[in-house]
Amino acid sequence: MENLGYLFAAYTIIFAVIFLYVLFIWRRQAALDAELRSLEARMTALTSASPETVAPERSDI
Amino acid sequence: MSGFAAVLRKDLRLELRSGESTLALLALSMLVLVVLVFALDAARVRSVDAAAGALWVAMVFAGMLGANRALLAERANGAIRGLLLSPLDPATLYAAKLAAALIFMAIAEVGAVILMVLFFNLEFDASIARLAPILALGAIGFSALATLLSAITGRTRGGDMLLPILVVPIFVPALIAGVKASAAALAGMPLSSMGDWLKIMIAFDVLFVTAGYLLFEHVVGED
Amino acid sequence: MNNSAIRNGLGYATLALMLTALFMVFDYVPPEAEQGIAQLIFYFHVPLAWVAFASFGLVAIAGVFYLWLGDQLWDDLGYAAAETGMVFCTLMIVAGSIWAKPIWGTWWTWDSRLTTTFILWLMYGGYLMLRASADDTPQVARFAAVLGIVAVLDVPIVIASVRLWRTIHPAVLVTKQGGHGLEDPRMVATLLVCLAAFTALWAWLLMLRFTQLRTRSKMGALAMRIAFATAAASDGK
Repeated sequence: MENLGYLFAAYTIIFAVIFLYVLFIWRRQAALDAELRSLEARMTALTSASPETVAPERSDI
Repeated sequence: MSGFAAVLRKDLRLELRSGESTLALLALSMLVLVVLVFALDAARVRSVDAAAGALWVAMVFAGMLGANRALLAERANGAIRGLLLSPLDPATLYAAKLAAALIFMAIAEVGAVILMVLFFNLEFDASIARLAPILALGAIGFSALATLLSAITGRTRGGDMLLPILVVPIFVPALIAGVKASAAALAGMPLSSMGDWLKIMIAFDVLFVTAGYLLFEHVVGED
Repeated sequence: MNNSAIRNGLGYATLALMLTALFMVFDYVPPEAEQGIAQLIFYFHVPLAWVAFASFGLVAIAGVFYLWLGDQLWDDLGYAAAETGMVFCTLMIVAGSIWAKPIWGTWWTWDSRLTTTFILWLMYGGYLMLRASADDTPQVARFAAVLGIVAVLDVPIVIASVRLWRTIHPAVLVTKQGGHGLEDPRMVATLLVCLAAFTALWAWLLMLRFTQLRTRSKMGALAMRIAFATAAASDGK
């Protein structure tokens, strides 16, 4: 079965790249989640301490 | 006088006073052609394909240089704020910028054609006259695209380097059509035989002049 | 239905469809007589192309909505679509090249489809470079939207001009454009399943990246509210 090497290479590359992209998204997500938690904590602290200083959420973001 | 004419006159007058942009454009066209003469060894062989290709390469690079400088004057002194505060609407500003870019590109094209004939062993005959409409169509399309995109690239960190990256892939269809039609014209073919290529260039021009006219308001503004 | 439900649903659908597709390609469909086993790359190559172009269209549509409505959501969608589209476009070109080598004997050929996809790849690259070279401001989002729209409007003209270019001067090699004259209905079925599998994969990846960008945008807004509130609170003291 000639050309089997090419077939194998093509399919492997396709799945490898897709896997890498998912990995890229995954790693970014962990960092984002951590940052989000800390932001939310600060927001809760501010809202309870001085609620009048907190601006309302925007609807276009 | 209308806003369009005012902006156009300002750009032309600025250029007339110093002439440095025009000189740079002509110099760049010539140098690109020189590089291609040696790269393609045009001295040995009379080739309309190589000549047409070289001509368009020179035009694209010169056009890019011109586009980069088009908004430079206003941006440098914050004069863009004045333009925006005036009753001039962005679409008209676009039209004026496009017209200025066209004029400069036309000057560069005339120079490039003359040099092409000389460097690539061609003749100053009717085939050159047939080149004129093809080059005009190309200049309109390129200027329309570059004027719009240079408003973007001028205001991002990528700057001058980013403009070619954005313009070239989008310009490809007009480039293919332009080079093919130019080579045919130089080979003595009548314009009627290049109908398909000309149609592509006309479609490109209509599309991008319209798109630029409608979208310019979103890209122009203060820094 | 909330975002993670959609995301997970798409993820499972992708897995199921992809496994089916793989089975069909390797165990079900008969290989084409002339091209041998490397021809099977075609069943992934074509869906990759479809998804790459579809994603590009989405970038432009998102751009139009962003310019019209101004909601950051559309900008995030456009950016996600550009990234996923770039991944699939790159894969399409790589797969096409690997397919070309045994079939046509060369790693690259300027046939109309590969050329057009390469131009598309360059446009994606330009869009992503624009985004990378600038900050995340609404102004840059507008720039990106305009670029996306302009590039997509160009695509039909690119297709027409490249096709004309190649018709007048056909590629030097005799090209066996696999994919036309799919005689066996099993081939058609396999291709359709692969199309579905890659569309699902694309939608899933898009959803992943999109929700991530949304989170980032919202966090940006949140951080700004906190900064103002902190400043206001300390002013009040």
